[in-house]
Amino acid sequence: MNENDQDRMKKLLQQALPRVGGETELERDLWPAMLRRLDQRPEAPPWFDWALLVGLVGFAAALPASVPVLLYYL
Amino acid sequence: MNTHPYLRSFLAGAFVPTLILPLMLAGFVVLRLMLQVPFPIERGLVFPMALVPTLWALWNMLWLGSHMHTHLPIAVHGMLLPFVLLPAGTLVASCLGVLALGSQGVTWFHALYVPYVWIAPCFLAALAGYYLVWKYVVGFVNRVLGIA
Repeated sequence: MNENDQDRMKKLLQQALPRVGGETELERDLWPAMLRRLDQRPEAPPWFDWALLVGLVGFAAALPASVPVLLYYL
Repeated sequence: MNTHPYLRSFLAGAFVPTLILPLMLAGFVVLRLMLQVPFPIERGLVFPMALVPTLWALWNMLWLGSHMHTHLPIAVHGMLLPFVLLPAGTLVASCLGVLALGSQGVTWFHALYVPYVWIAPCFLAALAGYYLVWKYVVGFVNRVLGIA
């Protein structure tokens, strides 16, 4: 690759790639939103999920033979 | 983090069964090697140790690929997996001699007798368990890995 080819390649690359700078500023500050997200507490599980869990434990207690069978399918 | 989302979903899906596997292996060592249980339990380990983690991982990949179109919550998607696992596991178990079908019920591992009337409640319990595990554990791992 001679010097002319290198110049041509440089120009082509400059045309193809967007210019960096000038428009790199964010439109708004993202840090407050990040802080709000960090402060958010995870939602508590709904009552339906607790009921399912209690039902599962009760089922395993009522029919212990089902536990290894269920483990087999896990 | 937009690279290799399907690889990450595979790992997230295989996470839960991979945690359970050492416990099953420990149970096998205690029952078979220490207590000298005569039944070859290792036959029953083929399905949960070799196939189930892969199926969970592929199921999570399927959710990642389909939820943009189906909008199915991950808990509901995970709850559908037993519909695949039940026939597959039963087929493998009966082929390996782990499961014996009787007139009144099913005998597992030559020791555990489950009457047919209990099969449907067992299946419903499996659905409930899968719903909870996929909602809270797999969903959490998916969020941590940036795919949910």
